[in-house]
Amino acid sequence: MRLSFDRSVEGFRQTFLAWLADNRPSPEEMAADPALSSGHAPPWARRWTRTMFDAGWLVPGWPPERGGRNASPLEQLVYLEEMARADVPRSTNPQGLGIIAPSILDYGSEEQIGSYAMPILRGERTGCLGMSEPGAGSDLAALSTRAVLDGDQFVINGQKVWTSGANHADFCFLFCRTDPSAAKHKGISVVLVDIDTPGVSVRPLPELVAPEYPELNEVFFTDVVVPAANLVGTLNDGWAMANGSLAHERGMVWVSSVMALDASMRHMLDAAPGWLSKLRSGERAVAAAMVADLYVDTQAVRCLGYRGFGKLMRGGSAPEQALMKLFSSETRQRLGLVAAEVEGAASVTVSPQGARGPFLAVDEASTWMEQYFRSFGLTISAGSSEIQRNIIAEKVLGLPRS
Amino acid sequence: MDFELTNDQQELRDAVRAVLATACPPSMVRQVYESKADDGASRAAPLWRQMVQLDWPALTIPEPFGGLGLGYVELAVVVEELGRAVAPTPFVSTATQFVPMVRQAGTSEQQDTFLRPVAEAGSTGTLALAEDDGRWEAASVATTARPVGDSWVLDGKKSFVFDGATADEVAVVARQEGTSGDEGLGVFVVAQASLTSRPADVIDPSQPLAEVLLDNVAVPADRMLVAPGDPRAVETINRAIQEATAAIAIGMTGTCRAIFEITLQYAKDREQYGRPIGSFQALKHRLVDMYLAVERATSLAYFAALTIAEDDERRGLAVAMAKAAAGDCQRLVVQDGLQLHGGVGFTWEHDLHFYLKRAKSANALFGSALMQRAAIVSRLGLVLDEPAGSEAP
Repeated sequence: MRLSFDRSVEGFRQTFLAWLADNRPSPEEMAADPALSSGHAPPWARRWTRTMFDAGWLVPGWPPERGGRNASPLEQLVYLEEMARADVPRSTNPQGLGIIAPSILDYGSEEQIGSYAMPILRGERTGCLGMSEPGAGSDLAALSTRAVLDGDQFVINGQKVWTSGANHADFCFLFCRTDPSAAKHKGISVVLVDIDTPGVSVRPLPELVAPEYPELNEVFFTDVVVPAANLVGTLNDGWAMANGSLAHERGMVWVSSVMALDASMRHMLDAAPGWLSKLRSGERAVAAAMVADLYVDTQAVRCLGYRGFGKLMRGGSAPEQALMKLFSSETRQRLGLVAAEVEGAASVTVSPQGARGPFLAVDEASTWMEQYFRSFGLTISAGSSEIQRNIIAEKVLGLPRS
Repeated sequence: MDFELTNDQQELRDAVRAVLATACPPSMVRQVYESKADDGASRAAPLWRQMVQLDWPALTIPEPFGGLGLGYVELAVVVEELGRAVAPTPFVSTATQFVPMVRQAGTSEQQDTFLRPVAEAGSTGTLALAEDDGRWEAASVATTARPVGDSWVLDGKKSFVFDGATADEVAVVARQEGTSGDEGLGVFVVAQASLTSRPADVIDPSQPLAEVLLDNVAVPADRMLVAPGDPRAVETINRAIQEATAAIAIGMTGTCRAIFEITLQYAKDREQYGRPIGSFQALKHRLVDMYLAVERATSLAYFAALTIAEDDERRGLAVAMAKAAAGDCQRLVVQDGLQLHGGVGFTWEHDLHFYLKRAKSANALFGSALMQRAAIVSRLGLVLDEPAGSEAP
């Protein structure tokens, strides 16, 4: 156990920071043309993702031909922390970079890698994940969007919902049912569908905050025809990919959650003296204790992440990882809650410029109240907190199924 | 950067766990619980002798004074396991309170005099800091030290002293008459024979506490670790308090983990309505929340251990967070652990209450979660009109 980093890792950090300072997009450039959803890549974002790819800084743990430099896990951790500190996204299409591209690289054909995965890594295309449906949320395996193999093509009919970034994405990594007679986990496949294919229609679902910048969508598929070659992996073996894609998502995603939480905590600590100065001494003691509690939580989230990371680095399993999504999202939510509560009457004012930018980003332009409401995106999506508790109870604690 | 135990640390943990499994089963804790106060110490004596043979008390004593010279993380590994077993032993008072104070404050000669017997012969020690107000902070000390020739005369009363009635040597924090706050503080080592101690009747007999009366006790100069008025006194005392407080937090996380594990097993074994009660979602979610609270507290406990081991500047804040998180953790796991056991956990015959009482006591001693939270508030600069006075340790 140790706190400090090796000199070689510190050297890696310095190399990266120097490169980042010379190449990063400026905050002004980013603010002038923000990404409108997690499927949208403005020109600066496309250039920046490409620049990172070419320099081997996009996914440092991967080999150079895939945008990396074979960095060690510890170096990847340092990289992700420094990226977050610099407040620059690696891509404005996080599900493309974090889930879709890795899944296609793992399971897809050479053609799919060439036309879907690599373009994401080069900032040329964006993807969305077609998972949830009106009748299949937490119970994803109950999905009913149907893909029927007809000769050398699939005919797709059905509906997805809560599809992040579908309103701007170029294609959909679509989970659909290909064998309705099989047990529900066993008849699912993944098909790549370009959003401009005839029969695909996207209807944005404006959220409760900042409805002028919708992130979520309903996606309807009516007799959509795609080549059979768009099947990713093996027919009826899509459930493995659903689990695999979540594994990609959980692998290092905790680092960005921790960093986002840290940034929110810093903003709160910056604002807190102003709020406290308006309170009377008894009120102030109550409020300060609430803020201190959250500070403890944010530090604990980070240390818990580091513990799990330490186990993974040794090749072991890390039950801590299962807790990270639950703990970090609920802490983020409490942070917005407490900040808005301590802020008092001023918390009801809506942010002047509106809350902009991707749904899950740290958003200083949003008020604390808006951040609180938006935080439910974290506790509901990708397995709600209740489902996380069921999973941890059964998979980690070994409690019997209900 | 690595938050996982090294192979050596893992082996130490396995070894400690294996020893305690046979030398300190719940039946042994029960014997201590069911003995009279003075008899309890003798029931626990064989465990201490075994720990001495295994060199555990020598762990963090520097090699020149007969110790193993290991760091705070190794100490944390042992303390966590002792908490997990609710071990009745003077290890906590000796190795996490007395030893750090002597190591921080003593000259080489004094370290040799007081630490070598601990390392080589299982001599015990403790720290007498808190008084009737139950505050483990230098500024609250009222016990006085008065110079008389070459010696000092101590006068006052210390409370909640861990193993205070049995420790061979007691490190006493006192202040020069007429001083207050952080001024005039000193540290002395007083032999048990020179003072009057009175065991306290406490809810957790596996961790005995005592009042220590210092009624004009003369202490020769060679037993003075820090002279009253020495400007380094507060920093030295605070460092010792941090080590001791972190150890309580770490031990608590071990105890809380035991409560969680016992409750989890009970939820798997106990059947009602024809199925294990752990299959009910209402219980599952509470067990996951207990698990999260234990992991949260453990993560911060080891962070605190690391800041002490590497003398990181965040150590004061890290220790306060660790003790606060351990306090939060015990509140949840004691509550739900007892509740989920139903009637059986409410009985004297079930072993659960040893763990519950240890967790509750540990929260109340060395600064409760409430006090630690206030210390965090202060360290984060959220106190706008702080009255002049002491800083939290």
